[in-house]
Amino acid sequence: MRTALFEDENDATKEHGSNRFNILVCIDGSKESRRGLKYAVKIGQGSDADITLLYVRPLDKGMKSGVGLARQNMVDWGIELPGMRALKKARDQLFELGFLDGDWKEEDTRKRAYGDPVGDTMKTYTDKNGTHIALKLMIAPNVAAGILDECELNEYDLTILAMHGRGAANVRGKIKWKTTRTVVTEHHGTVLLAREIEENHGHLICVNDDKSIEAARQDAILASRCQCPVYLFSVAETEEQLPQAKEAIVKARNVIEAAGVEVVDSWTDVGNPAEMIIKRGKDYSVIVMADSSVKGFRRFFQSSVAYDVLQHAYNSVMIIR
Amino acid sequence: MALFTTRRSRRFRLRGTRNLRSAGYFLREKRWLIFAMIVGMLLYMAPVPDGLTYAGKTVLVISVVAVILFVTEPVPLPAVAFMIVIAQILMLKDVDSKQVAESLMSDSVLFIMGSLMLAVAIVKQKLDKRLAYLIVRMTGTKTLNVAVGIALVSGLMASVIGEHTVAAMMLPVAIILITLTSEDPKKVRGLAAVLLFSIAYGCSIAGIGTPSGGARNAIMIGYWKEFFYHGDEATKQYLVDYVSWIKVCYPVFLAQLPFVIGILFMTFKPEYKHLNRAVVRLRTQVEKEGSMKSSDWIAILVFFLTLLGWIFYSSELGLGTIALLGAVTYMVLGLVRWEDLNSGVNWGVVWLYAAAISLGIQMKDSGAALWVADSFIGILPSGMDSGIGLYASVSALTTIVTNTMSNGAAVAVLGPISLNMATTAGESPLILGYITAISSAFAYLTVIGTPACTIVYASGYLKTTDFLKVGWKMVIMSTLVLLAFAMFYWPAIGL
Repeated sequence: MRTALFEDENDATKEHGSNRFNILVCIDGSKESRRGLKYAVKIGQGSDADITLLYVRPLDKGMKSGVGLARQNMVDWGIELPGMRALKKARDQLFELGFLDGDWKEEDTRKRAYGDPVGDTMKTYTDKNGTHIALKLMIAPNVAAGILDECELNEYDLTILAMHGRGAANVRGKIKWKTTRTVVTEHHGTVLLAREIEENHGHLICVNDDKSIEAARQDAILASRCQCPVYLFSVAETEEQLPQAKEAIVKARNVIEAAGVEVVDSWTDVGNPAEMIIKRGKDYSVIVMADSSVKGFRRFFQSSVAYDVLQHAYNSVMIIR
Repeated sequence: MALFTTRRSRRFRLRGTRNLRSAGYFLREKRWLIFAMIVGMLLYMAPVPDGLTYAGKTVLVISVVAVILFVTEPVPLPAVAFMIVIAQILMLKDVDSKQVAESLMSDSVLFIMGSLMLAVAIVKQKLDKRLAYLIVRMTGTKTLNVAVGIALVSGLMASVIGEHTVAAMMLPVAIILITLTSEDPKKVRGLAAVLLFSIAYGCSIAGIGTPSGGARNAIMIGYWKEFFYHGDEATKQYLVDYVSWIKVCYPVFLAQLPFVIGILFMTFKPEYKHLNRAVVRLRTQVEKEGSMKSSDWIAILVFFLTLLGWIFYSSELGLGTIALLGAVTYMVLGLVRWEDLNSGVNWGVVWLYAAAISLGIQMKDSGAALWVADSFIGILPSGMDSGIGLYASVSALTTIVTNTMSNGAAVAVLGPISLNMATTAGESPLILGYITAISSAFAYLTVIGTPACTIVYASGYLKTTDFLKVGWKMVIMSTLVLLAFAMFYWPAIGL
């Protein structure tokens, strides 16, 4: 595990951000990641949210010696590194969407990392309300490791990754299915895989057990931040299990309404859970699932409904922990 | 809000499962290591094929596992190097640690170490802006001329120093020209591709120009000496010196240069025929640097003395000794600090080449290289097992291998095999050696093919598919030029 990056800044940020809603948006320069960012702004509206934009550039390992040297030369010439160009474009999008209020204070930090003199770069923008935007250009052995490092070192309430296409097919942009799968599997917190994400279609929360009901409560709070309507869905694999599915819907509705959020509608169905969820879920902004119950070594050999939905869904999927 | 207040405690609970999760993560990340080990075990348990010794089979097993690990990189490549060393000591009965340690350090390895240090020392002199000035003064503002200038200067430099150094120095020049033409990358896609590939392919085709152009050349020179030179007059031709190499290989580089530019312009069609505004602004930027300082001149002088040392004394002193002398001179004169060299040199590369060369020597000593060479020739169709057919086969094999791993590693692995093929087929080991070394530069198809390709890709202007789009044309062109030289020019100069 790498040592803490921007340690001093992080301490300050943690202090500052202990009661704030922290969103991490992974940027890869693609159109999808910009759509994911737009959704982050919608969730982060109000003055209690901070957004961190992260671009990970893989470490120059193996025989790729010289890339570090080239990057150092680019910096010496005053040329921006490719990741910073993508981050600045995303920052401009945040400015256009009015995420920061009026004037802001700008700060730059650079730290050597993994023996690379160019290392990690961070730019922070803070407005008079204390709202932060941080642009982080990080170096890591691979993109997934960089995202996981960042999430390990700083507590984020929501991590957004954007990817185009289903599963391993038709993936444009630098964030591929392999990266997404690793991040979602290893992450300790809530992850939203933004895939052709569209606002205002609501969250379809899938429930079946106590864990998913707690996840439903958490997502309802999240959805209320962006005034997104909430729907419930439960799938029974057989007719005999239908009563349990209906019971899960009732429990989830009670928990969500107790948190002060209205459930617009709910359904139960019988069939293959992953297929039914993908089919019904395609009309919503986000399909919400609880983290898989398949852990550790078993995950290497065995899939789960949550990961099947994540891989094969047509639209965005949020895994809640 | 409840969601946020419970997060910290949940995190701590989840930490308990972190190790289990990481085990699944570890298995996924290391799947190629597991695959390589299973393949290795199966091959090791298989019966010894006819004509191969037990030691030869063991060396081949180590080689196969190493190649899988070179290509897939599930562990850091220096770790693969150490695994090769450990496997040789533990698995080969007649080899002890002293012998393996001795085989790790040769003149080729000293050369690789010295040239990597020289590269850092040269980059630290910040001569890239001078080079940029030289190019734009020489070429004017026409896009075609600028591309020719960039490819030529990159090539001339990459023929004597490592291509990664040259690419690292030239990259900012190309990016400045691109960004000064248009800030919007979409409007300069073709221009960016032409200028960046002029650097990458300029470096690739030139790296074979002289022995100091790349590790692969030094490795091949080392193999010729190790395998064929017996200290007598009859085998002295296998002690290839700097000038002999240049006579054979430099024309191959120069002949390819116009074709490279033609292919790039036909493939990418730059949006701008002239770069007036960009060139003028680049000139202004570069002129701010002022005139050359005395330390700049001394740095250039030291490099030229090193070059002269390679030309006139490499056959007696070895390429490696002179490279180290050059690097030490930079340090003694205070032109570069040890700290800069230490952090700038990828020492893992040195270990990797050392281990690969050591394995290459074991392949020859155990008879494994000869067995592979015989088997390869045996499966070639009639007409392809000698003469130009064999040259084309060896070139094709090397091109495939070099596109999946570094060109130095490709030569280290394939060198002993192709040299043994020459012996079996009754061909000249020198010709097949040159063909292997030169073909190892045809890594045009992938981003990771050569350090120069990786560096230009790091600019963010190119897509991985661009390498395929232009790379296959480059492979065909370079192969045809190489075979033409092997058929007509090399016999004419008595090779």
